[in-house]
Amino acid sequence: MKKKKGFILLSMLLLVAMFTAACGSSAQTNSTDSNGKTTITLLNSKGEIQQQFLDAAKAFEASNPDIQLQIEQVAAGQSPFERVSTLYASGNPPTMMMVDPSDVTQLKDRVLDLTSEKWVADANGNIKDTDNKVLAFPFSVEGYGFIYNQAVLDKAVGGTFDPKTINTRDALQQLLEQIKAIGVAPLEISPQDWSLGAHFMGINYSAQSKDTAQVSTFIEGLRAGTTDLNQNTVFNGLMDTFDLMMKYNYDQASPLAPTYEKGPELIGKGEVGLWFMGNWAWPQIKSFDTADGKYGFLPVPISNNAADYGNVEVSATISKRIVIDKQKSTPAQQEAAKKFLNWIVYDKEGQNFLVNEVAVLPAFKNITLEPTNPLGKSLKEYIDAGKSMEAVSTLPADHWKEVGSYMQKYLAQKSDRTELADSIETYWKNVK
Amino acid sequence: MIDKGKWSQWRVRLLFTGPTLFIFLTVMIIPFFYGIYLTFTDWDGISVTQEMVGWANYFTVFQDKDFWLSFALTLKYVGMSVLLVNVVAFLLAYALTSGLKAQNFFRAGFFIPNLIGGIVLGFIWQFVFSNVLVQVGQKLGMVWLETSWLADENKAFWALVIVTVWQYAGYMMVIYVAGLMNVPRDVMEASGIDGATKLRTLFSIILPLVVPSFIICVFLTLQRAFMVYDVNLALTNGGPFGSTEMVSMHVYGKAFLSRDYGVGQAEALVLFLLVAIVTLAQVYFSKKLEVEA
Repeated sequence: MKKKKGFILLSMLLLVAMFTAACGSSAQTNSTDSNGKTTITLLNSKGEIQQQFLDAAKAFEASNPDIQLQIEQVAAGQSPFERVSTLYASGNPPTMMMVDPSDVTQLKDRVLDLTSEKWVADANGNIKDTDNKVLAFPFSVEGYGFIYNQAVLDKAVGGTFDPKTINTRDALQQLLEQIKAIGVAPLEISPQDWSLGAHFMGINYSAQSKDTAQVSTFIEGLRAGTTDLNQNTVFNGLMDTFDLMMKYNYDQASPLAPTYEKGPELIGKGEVGLWFMGNWAWPQIKSFDTADGKYGFLPVPISNNAADYGNVEVSATISKRIVIDKQKSTPAQQEAAKKFLNWIVYDKEGQNFLVNEVAVLPAFKNITLEPTNPLGKSLKEYIDAGKSMEAVSTLPADHWKEVGSYMQKYLAQKSDRTELADSIETYWKNVK
Repeated sequence: MIDKGKWSQWRVRLLFTGPTLFIFLTVMIIPFFYGIYLTFTDWDGISVTQEMVGWANYFTVFQDKDFWLSFALTLKYVGMSVLLVNVVAFLLAYALTSGLKAQNFFRAGFFIPNLIGGIVLGFIWQFVFSNVLVQVGQKLGMVWLETSWLADENKAFWALVIVTVWQYAGYMMVIYVAGLMNVPRDVMEASGIDGATKLRTLFSIILPLVVPSFIICVFLTLQRAFMVYDVNLALTNGGPFGSTEMVSMHVYGKAFLSRDYGVGQAEALVLFLLVAIVTLAQVYFSKKLEVEA
């Protein structure tokens, strides 16, 4: 009996020891380890480039032997914000976190001010927040519009297709007719809520004016309930174009059925001429490529006046941003994290990682490496020519889902334009 | 002496229940009350500070039309799936206890869907609904299959119900099989001698005697259908245009997507109370149906 009791007590002790050990170890990961190396972690929210990140970490460690860089990953289907908030709640945030644009404002009390970093001067586009501070490192520039298949369009126009010819809605319609005439379905609309809500409807905000202050005023008006979308020229113009797209849609019979994966297949195989999507689709298109790698972007025209803003501009914006935690990270870790960001921008290997390995468009002027894929190239041409429209990065976090579902309803012809406009107005009036 | 004895009694009790109690408190009770506290704040899930807003979040819950719409949809879904899961499960169990050849094989076969996780199952069925069935429909010229069920708001709802039935019927079948095997032979024989038909035996003898199984199964299906999330996420993701968004998904979206943690938490609490009322009522009323052989 005595022996048994002793055994129970012993196993209890063991259990408690294991428990505390388990608790202790998680707290340890965030500090300097025994051999004097500073360990930093990065939360990667672009799952498709995890391997490239691991390779980059190795290259970075090789040139910075006193730093150890671990790459964590956001699980598929989880939003980076959700993962970050869980990690903060458990008191174990990573040193660096790759997040979406709208997350940065909400993290502002927890992340490091990067305004005095060297790369700030070399960055393209608007990276400052409303307080004129830089809180996030611009990791990638991504853009969207109509992706075209050069082989199909060459055949349709009978010669070499010049994307510059599409600068009005009528020009687009003519092109769609020409594609139809050669027996190919003109275009594919992917009915995903993020594509319709965040990207297509995103044009509704960014195309309001070239002046970002005007765009802000427009959004303030929506919040206050004073903007009447039904009377708005840009909104109506954009929806006229959408009506046109619906008319020539490959999946007209069941417009909500196609999955995202169907798009790259159709455009790659040349079964459609145009597809509304962005440069991130290249890896998938590549596996179906029949146009010898010749693809590019067309802007989404919103009126019949070629001079109107938005008719020749393609939407492009800084999509993923990296922030550095200041709450739980030690100064040494913060320095190491800054070093890594500088390594990406200024080190040859870092630039190679960004442009060639990950194949994103960098947001930095000093990086002269040319993108290796046709969509990146096309997008860069638009940006270099000043023909890019900065997508609004401060849309509410649930905008894509809510507005995306209104757009799906419209696409399925279960609602009309007035209802769509009313839904969007109501959404803005109630959004937090 | 007595005190010492009490203490050692407590010590032994704590030794056994202590660890579980500790875990139960830290992962169930404390979060539950902390969650209630959060319903009175305007926390967005990440900010360092949070303001107390009193009952404002609860007012928002009662004004949130989408919450009540998805709750109504969930009720419809719960009603349909509880009914169909149990009917199908009972029929399967009845057939598989009647002495069919290879009935053990069939029992295992019907049980297997329950071993597949909801997410995987949702993706498999997404493929079935939007590719396989569409192909079949086009080949055989069946109009109602030619377009994806998931692209139509009514059919998408039924797709969800079908997948749920497929998932849970096997599990409930096992419980019914156990219930049916426990029906005493003597009453069955007595009814046979009295000249009762098969149908009469089913309704007058078997059904009343397997009521305990019904209570368990209805309870389990009720609770699972109310809490459905994974199948909903993987199969329709609330689409098309938010028409199949069940209440769990709505609450989750409120907290993590709209970043309105306070309101999300308040909706979760309201949902908890409503589900608790429904399930307790179900157990209470069905207990009255039980009979002894």
